[in-house]
Amino acid sequence: MRSAYNETGLYNLAVVKEAKRWCKQGLIEETQLAVIRENYVSSFYHPNLIIRILLFVATLLALGGVSGFLGLMISSAGESAYPVVCVVYGVASFIFLDKVFIGKNHHYKSGVTEGMLYHASGFTIVGLLWMFEFNEYVVLYVCFITFSLVAFRYIDLLTTICAMLSLAGILFYTCYNAAGVFQQIIPFIFIIAFGGVYAVVKKIKARPLLKFWSNNLLIVEGISLLFIYIAGNYLVVRELSVNLMNLYLEDGQDIPFAFMFYALTVIIPAAYLYFGIKNKDMILLRVSLIVIAFSVFTFKYYFSLGHPEITLTLAGAILLGITLLLFNYLKTIRHGFTRENHLAEKWGNLNLQAFIVSQTLGGNQTVANEPMETGGGGSFGGGGSTDSF
Amino acid sequence: MTSDTPRELLEKRLITQDQFTKIDVITSGKVVSVFYELRTLLYLGIMLFTAGVGILIYQNIGDLGHLLSIIALIVLTIGCFFYVFKNAPPYSNASVKGPTPYFDYIVLLGALLFISVLGYLQFQFAIFDENLGLITLVTSAFFFCIAYRFDHLAILSLAITALASFWSISISPQKWYEGDFFETANLHNTAIIFSVSVACIVLLLDKRSIKNHFTFTYLNFCALVFFVGAITGMFVGELWFGYLLLIYGGCVFAFYMARWKKSFLFLLYAFVSAYIGTTYLLAETILQDGAEIWFLYSIASCGGFIFFIIRFKSYFNQKS
Repeated sequence: MRSAYNETGLYNLAVVKEAKRWCKQGLIEETQLAVIRENYVSSFYHPNLIIRILLFVATLLALGGVSGFLGLMISSAGESAYPVVCVVYGVASFIFLDKVFIGKNHHYKSGVTEGMLYHASGFTIVGLLWMFEFNEYVVLYVCFITFSLVAFRYIDLLTTICAMLSLAGILFYTCYNAAGVFQQIIPFIFIIAFGGVYAVVKKIKARPLLKFWSNNLLIVEGISLLFIYIAGNYLVVRELSVNLMNLYLEDGQDIPFAFMFYALTVIIPAAYLYFGIKNKDMILLRVSLIVIAFSVFTFKYYFSLGHPEITLTLAGAILLGITLLLFNYLKTIRHGFTRENHLAEKWGNLNLQAFIVSQTLGGNQTVANEPMETGGGGSFGGGGSTDSF
Repeated sequence: MTSDTPRELLEKRLITQDQFTKIDVITSGKVVSVFYELRTLLYLGIMLFTAGVGILIYQNIGDLGHLLSIIALIVLTIGCFFYVFKNAPPYSNASVKGPTPYFDYIVLLGALLFISVLGYLQFQFAIFDENLGLITLVTSAFFFCIAYRFDHLAILSLAITALASFWSISISPQKWYEGDFFETANLHNTAIIFSVSVACIVLLLDKRSIKNHFTFTYLNFCALVFFVGAITGMFVGELWFGYLLLIYGGCVFAFYMARWKKSFLFLLYAFVSAYIGTTYLLAETILQDGAEIWFLYSIASCGGFIFFIIRFKSYFNQKS
C-alpha cells in the first residue's frame, strides 16, 4: 500500500513548502529557510503552477496526437478490437507514467503527470465500459474503482472528487433500482453512509501513515459533509422526488415527511456551524457557510415575496453588517479565533482577487451595450456571478 | 508535513525556541485564523448589496420611499468615504497597508456605491448630456483616482476594464467565450493600439517608481487584450502575416516582462499565442492536408516543448 512517489521526498517537499509559507509571513528568516532547504532535499521535479498548466496542456495535445495515430493504425482491425485496445493503451500509459516519468525522472505533480494520468484513466475507463456495453452499474463501479486507485497511488485530488461522486452514484442507483421502500429512504441511507465515511476519515486522518494523503482526506471529509446536507435538503429531496420517482404533487400538497426535511435544512447547517466554531474545525466551518447560503436559497425558492432586488440588498446588508461586527469582535483573539492573517493561502493572491473583483463587480459593460444601462460600469454585473467562489 | 514537524525542526536547531512557540500555535490549531473566510463573506456581501441597490434605485421612481432610499444611499456613500479618508494612511508611491483587515473592502463598497449614485444622477438628470461614453470615462477616471489614493489593486482592475470599455473593448473571458470581443469591425486594431499605449504609459510610470506593484496588473490586462486582438486580427484579416509578426513581437516583449516581473503568467500567454500563431502559419503554408501530418505535428511540437521546458528547468525555476 504505497503511493507512486518516494516517501522521504514527499515529506521533505512538504516541509520545505510549509517553511516557505512561514518565511513569507516573517515567522522565520530567509537564511533559516535556506538551511531547511538544504536539510530537507527532495529530487522531485515539481515546477510552479503556471509551468504546470503549460505542461499539462502540452501533454494533452501531444497525447491527443499519439492516440490519433493509434486510432488510424487500428482503424482496420474491426470494431470488436477497439475496447481491448483502449484498455491496453490506458494501462500501458499508466505503466509508462510510473516507470519513465515518476520512476526515472522524478516528476511529482508536474503537469505532465496529471496530463498522462487523466488521459490514461479516460482510456482505461472507456475501454472497460465499452466491453460491458455501458451498463450503468458497471459504469459507476468501474469509475469508482479506477478513480479510487488512481487517487490513492498518485495522491491526486481531482480523481478523489470523481471517486466520491461515483460512490454517491452507486448508492443512489442501488437504492433507486431496488424500488419500493428503498426509494423512500434514500436520504437516510445517504446521511448514514456519508456520516459513516466522515466519522472514519475524521478518526484515521491523524495517523502518521496517512500523512501524504492529508489533502485527499480533507476533500473526502468536505464532500461527505456536503452529501449529508444535500440528502436532507428540502429542495433537493422534493425536486428529485418529483422528477425521478414520478411523485405527483397538486397545489398545496407536500412531499412525505416534509416537516422533517424542512427541519433538516435548518438543523444541519446550524449544527455544522456550531461544531465548526466549538471544535475550531475549518472544514466544518467553511462547509457550513456554503450550506447556509443554500438553505436560505431553498426557503426563498418556495416562500419568495417576489422582490429579488430587495432580497439582494437586504442579504448583502446583513452579510456586511455581521462580517464587520465579527471583524471588530475578533480584534483580539477570542475562543481561539483571530481575524489576522496567519499564513498566506495559495489562492489568497491579491492579483487574483483583483481579477475576480473586476470580473464580477461590473465595470465590464461596453458602451455599445444596451442603452438603458446608464450605470456605465456601475452595479449591474454582480447579480448572477455568485459562482465565482 | 505533520503536526510534529515544527518540533522536529526545533530539535534539529533549524528554528529557535521563540519561533517554535509562534509557529506551533498556528500549526497545532490552537489559534485559528478566519481572515480569508471573513473577507470572502465581506466580498459576497458587497456583491449582493451593490447588485441589489443597482436595481432598486431605478424602481418606483417618484415615490417618497424611493427618494428616501436615494438619500440613504448617498448618506451611506458619504459615510464610507468619511471613514476611509479619516483612517487612510497618507499617500505613498510604494505599497501601503490598510489600517484594518477590512479597510480595502470599505473603499471598494464606497467606490461602487458612488458609481451607482452617479449612474442614477445621469439617468434622472442627464448630467452628461446623453453622452454615454463620457460617463464610462468619468467612472474610469474616478476608479483610477481611488485606486492610486488608497493603493487598491481591485479598483485598479475595475478602472482598467472601464477604460477599455470606453473604447468598446470588453475585458471578460466569459464574453470572449461567447464571441463578444468585438462589437464593431476593426476593433482588434483598437485593442492592439489601446494595449500598446497603456503598456507604454505604465512602463513610464514604473520607471519613475510610482506604484510599481500596480505594473503587473496593468501589463496583465494589456497582454490579454493585445494577444486576443492580434490573434483575432490574424484569423479575420487579409493581412494575417502582419498580425503574426505582431504576435511574435508581443511574445518577445512578454518574455522580457516574465523575466523582469518574475511572473510566469506572461510566459504562459507568450507560449500559447506563439503556438497558435505558428500553427496558423503552418496551416496556411506547408501543412495543407492529411490528419496524419497534424497528429505528427502535435506530437512533435508539444513533445518538443515539454522536453525543452524540462531540459531547461533550472531556468524556469528561478523563482517559485
